[in-house]
Amino acid sequence: MELLCLEMETNIRARPDPNLLCDDRVLQRLLTIEERFLPQYSYFKVVQKDIQPFMRRMVATWMLEVCEEQKCEEEVFPLAMNYLDRFLAVVPTKKCNLQLLGAVCMFLASKLKETRPLTAEKLCIYTDNSIRPQELLEWELVVLGKLKWNLAAVTPNDFIEHIVRRLPLPEDKLALIRKHVQTFIALCATDFRFAMYPPSMIATGSVGAAICGLQLDSADQSQWGDSLTDLLAKITNTEVDVLKECQEQIECVLESSLREGRQQQQQQQQQQTQRGPSGKGLDELDQSSTPTDVRDVNL
Amino acid sequence: MAAPKRIPAAPRRPARRNLFGPVDREQLQLEYQAALRKDLDEASLRWGFDFRSDKPLEGSHFLWESVPGAGVPLLYRCQDAGRVQKTAETRTPPKRRRSELPQREKENIPLTENIFNVEKTPEKEEKAGMKRKQTNITDFYQAKRRMVWMPRKSGE
Repeated sequence: MELLCLEMETNIRARPDPNLLCDDRVLQRLLTIEERFLPQYSYFKVVQKDIQPFMRRMVATWMLEVCEEQKCEEEVFPLAMNYLDRFLAVVPTKKCNLQLLGAVCMFLASKLKETRPLTAEKLCIYTDNSIRPQELLEWELVVLGKLKWNLAAVTPNDFIEHIVRRLPLPEDKLALIRKHVQTFIALCATDFRFAMYPPSMIATGSVGAAICGLQLDSADQSQWGDSLTDLLAKITNTEVDVLKECQEQIECVLESSLREGRQQQQQQQQQQTQRGPSGKGLDELDQSSTPTDVRDVNL
Repeated sequence: MAAPKRIPAAPRRPARRNLFGPVDREQLQLEYQAALRKDLDEASLRWGFDFRSDKPLEGSHFLWESVPGAGVPLLYRCQDAGRVQKTAETRTPPKRRRSELPQREKENIPLTENIFNVEKTPEKEEKAGMKRKQTNITDFYQAKRRMVWMPRKSGE
C-alpha cells in the first residue's frame, strides 16, 4: 500500500541526456524539421469567419490556466496551441466550438508528453461541463485526422536546453533562466502574432529576453565576446535583425501583459472594496494565469 | 457568459469556465459526422479502397488482394461494428504500381491539405526483400506485413 502511494506521488524523470544535448546534429535536425509543423496560414484572414484573434487569446489564456492548475509539463501548453493553430488554419470553426477544440488539443498534447495525462472528464469539467467526454473523444479523432496524426511537433521548449548550454551563463542562475524562458514561451503562445514564427526563433528570443530581463548580460560584458544577440543568432542560424525584432516583440508582450495584470488588479481591488470580499462576478486578473515570476523580471 | 467588451480576454477567476456560451449539441454531432465522412472519403480516394463497402475502388493506384483474416495479426482484423461480419476476409494492399506515384524523399511533411501531395511512399513498400540495418517488427511478421486498413504511416 505504501509502495503504491509512493508511486503515485512521484513522476520519474530521465536525466538530461548529454548525448542528445551536446550533439550538434540534434539541434540542426530540430532546425531542419521545425517549419513542417507551422500552421499553413495566418488563418484569421483566410479561413476563419466566426473567430477573432481575441477569441484565440481567450481560449489560450484558459488553456494556460488549466495546464498550470493541473501542473502539466511545460511543453504541453505550447504544443496544444500548435495543434489548435494548425487545425484552425485548415478548418473553419465556430466560436462556440473553440473551447471544445482547445480542450481536445490539450488532451492530445498531454497524452503525448505526460506520464499521467489529463483525463477527458477533467477537461470537460474545466469547460464548466459545456462539453461532454464523448464529444471530446469524437473530436479528438477529427483533430487527429486534420493534423494527419502528426503530433510530435517541434516546440520552442525543445530548443531551450540546446541554446542555454551554448551560452556562458552562471550555473547558479540556470534554473531561474529556464523558468523565465518557459514563461516567455507560454506568453508567446497566447499571442497570435507569434503563431507563424519558427519555434527556434521564439526560443532564442525568449532566452535573450530572459537574460536581458535578469540583467545577466550587463553584469559582465567581457564574457560574451560578441553581443548576446549575435551569439544567440549564431546558435539557431537566425538573422540578427529578425531576432532582435522578435526579442523586442516578446518584451512588448510581456510589458503589456504586466500592465494589463496591474490594471485588472487595481480594478479588482476597487471592486472588492465596493462590493466586499465576497462580491460575485469579479473580473479577476487576466494574467493571474501567467506564472508569477514574470513579475520578477526587471524591464 | 458573454465576454466583457472592455477587456476581451478577461476571465473569471476559476479556470473552470465556459468561454463562449452553450454548445449546440445537435449541430456539433452533425458536424462531427460530416467531418468523419469527409475523412473517410479522402482516405478512400487515397487508398483506392471503399472502406464503407469494404471493396477496392476501380482505377486506383493500388491493386488489392484478399487474404484470410486468420492470417493477420489481431490488430488488423475488423473490429468495429460496421465491419464485424467480414472478419473472415481481409484485404491486403497494395501492390503499388510503382511508376505512378513518385517517391518522396521526406516523411512527415504535413504542410499541405491536398491529399495527393501528401502521399508518400514508405521505403519498405518499394522492395519486398530489401535488407535493413535495423530490426523491424516486419522482420518477424514477414508474411503479414502488407496488411493495412488505415494509412500505415501516421505521419502522412
